[in-house]
Amino acid sequence: MTTVAPGWDTPALVLDAVAVAYDRVTALDGITGTVAAGESVALIGPNGSGKSTLLKAILGLVPLQAGSITVLGRAPTAARRAVAYVPQQDALDAEFPISVSQVVTMGRYRRVGWVRRPGRHDKAVAAEALHRVGLSDRAGDRFGTLSGGQRQRVLLARAIAQDARLLLLDEPFNGVDGTTQELLLGLLGELRAEGVAIVMSTHDLSIAQVACCDACVLNTHQVAFGPVDEALTAEHLREAYGTNALLLVSDGPSPRA
Amino acid sequence: MSRLFIEPFQAGYLQRALIEAVILGIVGGIVGVHVVLRRLEFMADALTHTVFPGMAAAFVLGGSLYVGALITGVASAVLLTLLTRNRRVTSDAALAVLLTGFFSIGVIIVSRSRTYTADLTTLLFGRVLAVDVAQIIATALTGLAVLVVLWALHKELVLRAFDPEATAALGYSVTTLDLVLNVLITLVVVSAVRAVGSVLVIALLVTPAAAAQLLVRRSVGAMMATAAVLGAVGGWLGLVVSYEGSIHHGWRLASGGTIVLVLTALFASVLAGTATVATLRRHGRRPGAAATTLEAAAS
Repeated sequence: MTTVAPGWDTPALVLDAVAVAYDRVTALDGITGTVAAGESVALIGPNGSGKSTLLKAILGLVPLQAGSITVLGRAPTAARRAVAYVPQQDALDAEFPISVSQVVTMGRYRRVGWVRRPGRHDKAVAAEALHRVGLSDRAGDRFGTLSGGQRQRVLLARAIAQDARLLLLDEPFNGVDGTTQELLLGLLGELRAEGVAIVMSTHDLSIAQVACCDACVLNTHQVAFGPVDEALTAEHLREAYGTNALLLVSDGPSPRA
Repeated sequence: MSRLFIEPFQAGYLQRALIEAVILGIVGGIVGVHVVLRRLEFMADALTHTVFPGMAAAFVLGGSLYVGALITGVASAVLLTLLTRNRRVTSDAALAVLLTGFFSIGVIIVSRSRTYTADLTTLLFGRVLAVDVAQIIATALTGLAVLVVLWALHKELVLRAFDPEATAALGYSVTTLDLVLNVLITLVVVSAVRAVGSVLVIALLVTPAAAAQLLVRRSVGAMMATAAVLGAVGGWLGLVVSYEGSIHHGWRLASGGTIVLVLTALFASVLAGTATVATLRRHGRRPGAAATTLEAAAS
């Protein structure tokens, strides 16, 4: 590590009273919290509560109305290379003519740079990432021929190939099969052990409790941010979700894995 | 064989038409892959209309059609990129407003000319048989420039087409990439418009690429190669059919229109062929079926 790059003791993410507005309508307000290297936080809240907006703000893709975001000691736009974003697999065109290994190699593009093509090292890193998600045998297949769960694993492999220190996942467990769920949980644990910080949006409380040490409960404004058992209380969830919260609580927190 | 390759192309003007049509087929096919993958067909069509006033003005003023088309084409590519970014205007509405607005300017300019009908026909339907050496050079250089930029930005443009969210997350400017692609599409439109006219130019961009999409599923590069071959074959075969029909049968087949019709026929054959193969596979024995079932059971 050179002196320019922040060390592992620098927090991966610092949110300080973050507020975002679209066309003067508040989308996010008063989000405050810290995620250290190797920690993971679940963003919990109903649809439209600002989970995706917060992920975009951490990527520096939406302007802040107030507050500040610091990613690995830098402004979000300056830290993008060290931040990997994993979209929902069903947002992608299943007919697109692209192979699984090409998708994973995309994680290397910023390191490869303009004009040049991915080299032997980049391809090796991509192959290793694909191996970690257990899909080496599908490398040459078209991305769209994979199942939803497998596609989600490929997108995680792309993020791994990027060698990021902060991983942002948008509903990574949406519509995935049991095998993929266990594999993803295991991989996220390994990555945390390697010092990667993780922020994931999810509507699944049991997943949040298994996969994350912290939770941020939000509904436009921040309801709670802290260790999962302190943040995911019935009271907080009722505040975020309204009356349905009790149903969710009685349904959710028994860990499936 | 001679009737396919040699006889039609003995006259100089037909040789020039062949070179022009093949270059346009190749470049249009390759750029068209991005048009089809990004579902930009309507936007590309809008660009073919927005180059019209520039050509009309150049025509009336006696200037270069190419320069006229280039000026309004690039201006509208920039306007389109900015307009479609605006969240308060839906992109299709923005396109429709811009294309009809630009096109009406062209109509007004051309209708002031005394040789109105003949001029309009030339601008709308093109004259591939009147292509001169200077035009071929302009087309070749423009095509080369377009292909060089496409090659240089290949991985970024494919990434943007496949996953715009991740493209932005990686720190690329999606707007800049879109602007570059729109200008490239415009350049192809501008170089093709004198040969096939502003109404039919969209076929060079969409038809070979759409056919290639049916044939190639594994990579964008392979799809581009296929579209280039289909585009070139369409250009050549279209000229042959037009020559055969006009010289030997007295059908008077307009060359630009025939090229597009041949491309359409190629697309239809590919569609019919791939549909037949798919049906046969579904009803016949399926060697992959057992493997697929095993895989589903395992996951």
